[in-house]
Amino acid sequence: MKKLLSLFLLVASASIFIVQAKAQVIVIANPSVKASDVSKNDLKDVFTGASTSLGGANVVPILLKAGTAHEEFLQAYIGKNDTSYRAGWRSLVFSGQGTMPKSLDTDSAVVEFVAHNAGAIGYIGKATPHEGVKVLGVK
Amino acid sequence: MYSKRIASGIIAAFIISAGLHAQEFKIGKYEVQAHGFGTQGYIKTNDNNWLTMQTSGSGSGVFTDAGFNLSSQFTNKFRVAAQVYSRKLGALGDWHPQLDWGIADYKVKPWLGFRGGKVKTVLGLYNDVQDLDFANTYALLPQSVYPIDMRDAMIAHEGGDIYGRAKLPRNLGAIAYDAYGGRRSDSMSSGYPYELKSSIAAYLTHYGGPVYGGDLRWNTPVKNLKLGMSRQNEQITAAGTYQGAPYAESSRHDWTNQYYGQYTANRWHAESEYKRYYRDQIVMSGTPAAFDVDQDIRGWYVGGGFTVNKWLEGGSYFSHYRDFFGGTLAGIITYADAATKDLAKVVTAKFTLNRFTTVKVEGHFMDGAPNEFYPAGFYAAENPQGLAPTTNAFVVRTGLSF
Repeated sequence: MKKLLSLFLLVASASIFIVQAKAQVIVIANPSVKASDVSKNDLKDVFTGASTSLGGANVVPILLKAGTAHEEFLQAYIGKNDTSYRAGWRSLVFSGQGTMPKSLDTDSAVVEFVAHNAGAIGYIGKATPHEGVKVLGVK
Repeated sequence: MYSKRIASGIIAAFIISAGLHAQEFKIGKYEVQAHGFGTQGYIKTNDNNWLTMQTSGSGSGVFTDAGFNLSSQFTNKFRVAAQVYSRKLGALGDWHPQLDWGIADYKVKPWLGFRGGKVKTVLGLYNDVQDLDFANTYALLPQSVYPIDMRDAMIAHEGGDIYGRAKLPRNLGAIAYDAYGGRRSDSMSSGYPYELKSSIAAYLTHYGGPVYGGDLRWNTPVKNLKLGMSRQNEQITAAGTYQGAPYAESSRHDWTNQYYGQYTANRWHAESEYKRYYRDQIVMSGTPAAFDVDQDIRGWYVGGGFTVNKWLEGGSYFSHYRDFFGGTLAGIITYADAATKDLAKVVTAKFTLNRFTTVKVEGHFMDGAPNEFYPAGFYAAENPQGLAPTTNAFVVRTGLSF
């Protein structure tokens, strides 16, 4: 019984840790984007090129080149690693169905770009200052 | 000797890929992206020569292709892009660079877009992405549905597409559609002209004609389950010479139906497709009499893959191909239903060395051989002694993309 309880506590702690890890990345958008929150499916559609709109308005995804926030975002909302995620985008590029989203080096560069470009939507680490953009809740 | 070449090729690809990045530059105020890809393959068979290569004996590495594209997103709705492609696959391709596709794309709404120029043809799961080695699990897609020697025939059309994607009400998922019309114009270094040349010494100078069709795919309410169907109609004419006299083909009926489904779950994916290609054509070969040829080609496969970790994916498919052939010559000779079949069991391992480089190792175990009237991988020119009933093939393919 004690072993079972220990196992349960271990799994519960791990779950809490995972939830906290997911919460370390936030989704930001230019204030022109009317939506205040977004479903996980819609977010995935936008960031995989399946859709170019949120709430009826055009949006443009902005990526991070690498880093913790990038890995967490892909794992939590796209369900792919970086290699297969970019392979998906290259498929669109080489079949004439899309253009690769802009990839920026740092979280602050993403904030800067999203703040100044209508329709832009990106993701950053939660701790990064993000004046000039709105934070979208992910349902 | 070939094992050293393969090892050298993989190492070279790995080193080159370390310096690869998509390039971005500006023309005026517009940003232009440059991307490219290339693959190098090697095939060794135990018996029949395959895909116009001398694959038996020590095998063949005459299996190379490359593409380079430029694209620019002028506005949120308007985009221009083009790609040049070149390949050498045994006796096919001959390194003739061609405009693979070149489009202007205007997306009015998510559910309504227009694409014009030379446009990649959406047909089934993989027709428009069949060259993208990095995106597919297999070194060779199931040849019953995506014959690599016939790539040029289906890859693109000159014309226009209307496309879009819309969510369905009541959580019924989403629908994506693509409807197109235009012309198809085959390269003379493709599989069908080569088949005619090598089997009956007919030399084509033109092959193509009007084409129209569409694709409808449904992202179902079942998470990550996609179902779809494609249809294509064509009116094909061919011109050339046969024994010094004019040779011509003209299709009376020429259509393709394709049905497909794909499911992905975490590290797994599974897919299946069924394709039926039917053509009824009149052949004029220098005599007043016309030769009527019917071909009813049915192919399907079931396949899947499992991603072990970020470096390794394993996969397998079972592929089946059958060609029902018949025809008349001046109304006198009637061919019996000369159905031929070709089964293939395939296992593959895909190694992703880094973001830009993949290496695939694959085994094909084929049972059966096609007839001589439509290309299906095995050609008379490379197999003058006739075809053995079974073929085993070892395939290695390295791909780079940026």
